[in-house]
Amino acid sequence: MDMSHLPDERLAALFDEPPTPAELAHLASCPRCATERAAYRNIRSLAMAEQARIGAPLSNWESLAPALRSDGVIDTGEWRVARRPGRFAGVWSQAAAAVLIAIGAIAYGRYTAGGAAAVPGLSRYESIASSRAADSTILFSSVEQARSAQERYQTLYQSAALYLAAHDTLELSPDSPAALRHRLATLDEVEGTVRQAVTESPGDPVINGYYLTTLGQREVTLRQLNASLPADMRVNIF
Amino acid sequence: MTVELLTIRQAIEGDEAALRALWTRHAPHIDLVVRRLVGNDQDLAADIAQEVWIQIFRALPSYRGDSQFGTWAHRIAVNRTLNALRKTRRLAGIESDIEEDSAFVEMDTDRSFLAASIEQAMAKLSPGARAVFVLHDVEGFTHEEIARDLGITAGGSKSQLFKARAKLRKLLAHLVDVVSDAQNSRTDSGHVAPA
Repeated sequence: MDMSHLPDERLAALFDEPPTPAELAHLASCPRCATERAAYRNIRSLAMAEQARIGAPLSNWESLAPALRSDGVIDTGEWRVARRPGRFAGVWSQAAAAVLIAIGAIAYGRYTAGGAAAVPGLSRYESIASSRAADSTILFSSVEQARSAQERYQTLYQSAALYLAAHDTLELSPDSPAALRHRLATLDEVEGTVRQAVTESPGDPVINGYYLTTLGQREVTLRQLNASLPADMRVNIF
Repeated sequence: MTVELLTIRQAIEGDEAALRALWTRHAPHIDLVVRRLVGNDQDLAADIAQEVWIQIFRALPSYRGDSQFGTWAHRIAVNRTLNALRKTRRLAGIESDIEEDSAFVEMDTDRSFLAASIEQAMAKLSPGARAVFVLHDVEGFTHEEIARDLGITAGGSKSQLFKARAKLRKLLAHLVDVVSDAQNSRTDSGHVAPA
């Protein structure tokens, strides 16, 4: 009779770890340990079969749905009145488009004009935004002037977004968790687009500036979302 | 865009029907992960499953489609369940479990117990051993991933896994024994030392 056998935990390990030469020799000569090793293989097979098993749900929608409504995940329509689907995202897209149009107009003017012109002020911007026409009279005489205009437009963009958030009557509660989630999702999309642009033009200060603005707005929105949630709920990643 | 991605997009918009569709499709898998990790306490498992789904839906806007939705949600389910178990202190002292050689909930009383299924047998393991076994052998995590998730060492994870398997081997003897004459020749009188 064989007086020595592999310990249970060592046999349990042999599925993952190769046996040592001594263990291998023992397994070849000890039917009992070889059988035990096969039993452990069967344990592993049972575990893998368990992976494919499907069970009855523990959760149920009737208790889940109220929690999701109070959390703002399910849109109850409180913050939307007669708005078409995706309009909230549309506001941000329109604001972003307006900024891009303005930046494009600045760049176009800088490229085409030979003479210097005044840096556009706020009223000038409003004129551009309302007409949405590429204004070839916008000219810059220096990089500093262009950067100043860029900063001005970024500030204007942020102010416009905040104003819309506070005064757009079609959005009754823009700071609700649901609205903030939509904003985050939209900013994520914008971020993805601009990040791609940064990858293609890493040295472009306008694209970089816009990217940083998007990241900043996203961070602000994430903080607003956390502030709007109950004290014991926090969103750390998005 | 696949139907699932379209459903996810609608769910992000707060569409209840889309959210419910995702829950209906994935709850059988996701809730089972929770059940396996929690063990026998059905009330606790149900509470954690509810938390898991709320967390999944809260995080939905961050889903970028890099992996299957089920895989993404599964990872959240594992993390959330382990966090919940930590809060209830059921995962406290995993390393001490190892030192005390106590992968079992009941050391002596269950010697004659045979589990009808691996699920029933897993429920007899200590919480730490169960978590390691479920994560490694059922869910396919590496020891490094388990160590990170449970706050233990990779060596501790391995040790706990082997103890868990040894325990399960006893509990499931009638299912895993290979019929052989050699079975009757077993004695516990000695061990081969690993080289």
